[in-house]
Amino acid sequence: MSAHLLERDLFLENLAGLLEEAARGTGRCVLISGEAGIGKSALIECFSELHGGSARFYLGRCEALFTPRPLGPLHDIAQQLHGRMRELLEHEADRAAIFSTFLDALGDSPIPTVAIIEDVHWADEATLDLLKFLGRRVQHVPVLLIITYRDDEIGPDHPLWFVLGDLPSRTTRRLHLPPLSRDAVAALARGAHRTGNDLYKVTAGNPFFVTEVLASDEEGVPETIRDAVLARIARISPQGHDVLELASVVPARTDLWLLKTILPEPSSAIEECIRAGILRPELDAVAFRHELARQAVESTLPPFRLRELHAEVLRALLDNGGEPATVARLVHHAALAGDGAAVLRFAPDAARQAAQQGAHREAAILYGIALRYAEVLPQAQRAELLEGRAYECYLTSQLEGAAEARAAALSIWRELGEGDKVGRSLRWLSRLSWFLADKAAAERYAAEAVATLEALPPSRELAMAYSNLAQLRMLEENVSGAAHWGMRALDLAESLGDDEIIAHALNNVGAAQFTYGDEDGYRRLEASLHIALERGFEEHAARAFTNLGSGAVKLRQYARASRYLDDGISYCAERDLDSWRLYMAGWRARLRLEVGDWAGAADEAAEVLAGYRVSPVIRIPALVVLAWVRLRRGDPGSQPLLDEVRELALKTGEPQRILPVAAARAEAAWLRGDRAACQAEARAGYELASTDTDSWDLGQLHYWLWKTGDPPDMPLGLPEPYIFQFTGDWRAAAAAWVRIGCPYEQALALAEGDAKARRSALAIFDRLGARATSERLQQQQGAGHVHGNSRGPRPSTRGNPAGLTNQQLEVLLLMAGGLHNAEIAATLHVSPKTVEHHVSAVLAKLNARSRAQAVTQAHNMGVISKIGGPRRQI
Amino acid sequence: MPRYLVERTFTEGLQIPVNDTGAAVCRSVVSNNAEELVTWVHSYVNEDKTKTFCIYDGPSPEAIRRAAGRNNLPVDSITEVRVLDPYFYK
Repeated sequence: MSAHLLERDLFLENLAGLLEEAARGTGRCVLISGEAGIGKSALIECFSELHGGSARFYLGRCEALFTPRPLGPLHDIAQQLHGRMRELLEHEADRAAIFSTFLDALGDSPIPTVAIIEDVHWADEATLDLLKFLGRRVQHVPVLLIITYRDDEIGPDHPLWFVLGDLPSRTTRRLHLPPLSRDAVAALARGAHRTGNDLYKVTAGNPFFVTEVLASDEEGVPETIRDAVLARIARISPQGHDVLELASVVPARTDLWLLKTILPEPSSAIEECIRAGILRPELDAVAFRHELARQAVESTLPPFRLRELHAEVLRALLDNGGEPATVARLVHHAALAGDGAAVLRFAPDAARQAAQQGAHREAAILYGIALRYAEVLPQAQRAELLEGRAYECYLTSQLEGAAEARAAALSIWRELGEGDKVGRSLRWLSRLSWFLADKAAAERYAAEAVATLEALPPSRELAMAYSNLAQLRMLEENVSGAAHWGMRALDLAESLGDDEIIAHALNNVGAAQFTYGDEDGYRRLEASLHIALERGFEEHAARAFTNLGSGAVKLRQYARASRYLDDGISYCAERDLDSWRLYMAGWRARLRLEVGDWAGAADEAAEVLAGYRVSPVIRIPALVVLAWVRLRRGDPGSQPLLDEVRELALKTGEPQRILPVAAARAEAAWLRGDRAACQAEARAGYELASTDTDSWDLGQLHYWLWKTGDPPDMPLGLPEPYIFQFTGDWRAAAAAWVRIGCPYEQALALAEGDAKARRSALAIFDRLGARATSERLQQQQGAGHVHGNSRGPRPSTRGNPAGLTNQQLEVLLLMAGGLHNAEIAATLHVSPKTVEHHVSAVLAKLNARSRAQAVTQAHNMGVISKIGGPRRQI
Repeated sequence: MPRYLVERTFTEGLQIPVNDTGAAVCRSVVSNNAEELVTWVHSYVNEDKTKTFCIYDGPSPEAIRRAAGRNNLPVDSITEVRVLDPYFYK
C-alpha cells in the first residue's frame, strides 16, 4: 500500500522524530487515538513502509472477542521475535519475568525497534498491565512503542484510562488524528470524479467513510458508514454474501480452511470479495478491510442467524484436526452461539488461565458466563465457579458482584454441610462488607466465621478468620482487640507453619501496637515485613511498608518514617503496585510538610492527586497537605481543596481522617483573621475525639482553641511540646519542636515569646515561605500587644500593667463597647457564666466597683485607648 | 487553566537589555516555563523596575513557583485573577 495519505504529514514527521530519539537510546511511547475509521492503521502502515529499512517493526493486535486472549498482543509479537520469548511464554509463570524479558528482547538490537500494539480499547487486563510496565520503562531501551486506540469506544469508566493517566508525560507523546478537512475530501472526490460537498457534510471527514462512499457506484451519499459499506457490497453474488457473513462473525481474520470447511467451494466467491475491495488477503486467511466493515455486515444478520453461524464456526474449530484454536476463540463462539455445554467445557479453564496471567477482569467475565449455564452442574462445582467469580470480582474492585457470588456460594456450602468452606465464605463476606462500608455486617460475618470454624479441627481457615477479626479491630484503632485476635491468629499460624498468615497477623497486631509508640509493635511490623520480602508476598510487604512508614510519621519519628516510605515506594514502583505506592506517597508528602520541605510536599501531593480515579482514602492525606502548603504560603486554591477533603473525610466517618482536616480548616480561618470560624472548625473536630484519638491530632486542635482564647480543660496524654505551649512555657515548647524536627510549629511557639523570639519566628517563616502566617503575626504585633497569650501562670501577664489575661482584656473591651454579658458571650462564643467570671476578675484587677468604673480605669492606665481600638493580641 | 497575578520584588532593579542577550533571556524564560506548562502573558513594571506584576497562565500555584525557580525569579505573592472591565456590566 503506497497510496499517499492526505493531511498526515505532520504526524509522520512526529513519528519519525520519535524514532530518531529511540535510535539514540532514549525510547519513547506514542499514543495514537481517534474515532473508528480515522486511519490509525493506515498511518502506521505508511510509517512502516517509510522506515522499514532502518528499524525493526513488530505488530500485536487486540481483538474484539467475548473475552480477549490474555496477553494476546504479547504472544503475537513473541511469535515474530525469534529466540527465548516463545519458550519463556510456555514455561514461565512469573509475570514480572515475562514482562522484563519482553522489554529486553525488544531492546536487544543494533537498529531501533518499533513495537506496535493496536486497538488497546479491547485489551485484556494483563495487556493493560503490560502497557503500563512498558510505558514506564521504555525510555531505557531503543524502542518506539506505538499504542493505538479508539477514543470514541471508551467511556469514562474504561480501565484504559488508568493506564493512559499513569504513563510518564516526559516520555509519552499523544497524537490524536483529526478528520479530513473539506479540501482533502474534495481532493479525494475529484480523484474519483465525484463532487465533494455532500460528501463532506455527511462523512464529516471520516476517511474510511469517505473512501467507502467513493468506492461504490451509487450516485448519492449514504447516510451512515454502515449504509456505505452495504452499498459497496450490494453487487456481490449470493455466494460472496455467504463468505462475508461467515467472515463477519469471526473477529480479526478468518482462516481460509475454516471458510472451505463450512462453505461449499468458496474459492471464487472469496476472490470476488477481495476484488471488490471488501476483504483483503492475509497469510492463509482473509480479513475485512476495516473492523467497521465487518460490523456493518454483522449488523445485517438477525440474532438466530448469528447464533447459527457461531455454532457452525465452533463445530468446525472443534472438529479440526489441525492447529488448536485458542480457548479465547472457542469461548467467544460458544458464548455467542448460546451453546451452554460448550461454554461449560471451555470457560472455566479459560477463566483459570486468565487469572493466572493476571487478566482478572476477563477471568471474572468468564466465570460469569459459565455460571449462566451452570445449573446443570453438581452443586459443589457450581459453588467453586461462584468462588472463582467472587475472587476475581474482588481483585477488580467489583465488590457488589463479589459479595453476591460469595453469598450464593455460602448457601450451597451450608446445604452441603461443608463447615470449613462455610467458614471461609463467611470470612470473605466479612472483608467484602467492610469494603462496602457495612461495618455491622462485617462484624456479624467475622464473628460467625470464627464460631463456625472453632467447631472444627484447627485449620488455616480458622487462623485467617482470627486474623480478619484482628484487622477489623486494627482499622477501628482498637489496640487491645487487635492484639487479642492477632495473637490467636499468630499462635495457630505458627503451629501450622503458615508464613502468609503469620505475616498478616504480625502486621495487624504490630500496626495496632505501634500506633501508641509501642516498640514491640514496631518489631512485629518489621518481622512481618521481613517474612513478606523473603517469601515474595508482595501485597503483605506493601502493607507492612505502609504501616511502618505511616505509623512512624504519626509518631513524628521522621528519620525512621523516611526510610520505610522511600524503600516502600521504590518497592511498589518496581512492581507497579500503584494503590500502595500512592498511599505511601501521600504519607511522604505529609512528612515533608512537617519537616519543612514544602516544595517537596506540594509536588508529591500533586502527584498523588493526579492519579486517575484514586480512592478517597488515598486522596484525603494528599489534599490536606497541598491545602496546608497553599494556605501557609498565601497561595490561591486552598479553600476548594479544604472543602473537598472535608466532604470526603466526613463520609469515611473515621476520626483519624477527619481531625487533620479540622485542624487545617481551623488554621485557614485563623490566617484569614476569622476567629469565630477558627474556633468552630477546631471545636467540630474536637468533639469527635475519643480515648483512642491520636494525641498529636488532638494537640493540634487544642492549639487552635487555645490560640483563639477558649480552650477546654487540657486532656491527659498530650505530647510534650503542646503541654509546654498550653502552660505558657513557649521557650520549652519551641525547644521541644526543634528536637522533634518541626520548624513551623517551632516558629509558632517562638511567636508567643519576647521580641527576640518573635524575630526568630519571622525568620523561620521567611525561610519556609509561610508568607500568610508571617503577615498575620505582623498584623498582630503592629497593633501592639499584651505579653503572653495564655491563661497560664502569672509570668505571662506580668508585662501588663493591670495583669489582665487576654480573655479578660477582650471582655473589658466589649464592656467598653457597651455590650451586656449575653452579647459578650455570643461574640466570644463562650457561655454567659464564663463572661460573668471574667467580668468579676476584671473589676477586681482594676479595683473597680462597676463596669463603667472599670472602663474608665482601663483608659487611665493605658490598657485600652479611646481612638483606633485596642492594644491587644488575639 | 487559571490565570495568576505574580508579584515580584527586584531589590537591584530588573534589567533586561533590549538586544540579543535580552532576547535570549526571554526565550529561555519562555522555554523553562513551558516545561511546567506555564505561560507568561505579560508584566507590569514600576518606574524604577523594582517591582513587577506578572500575568501568568498555569495549572497551579506550585507550577508557577517551580517555573520561577528554574528562571531564578523571586515570588512575593501569587493571586488567582479574572478579568473585570467596565464593559463587563453591559
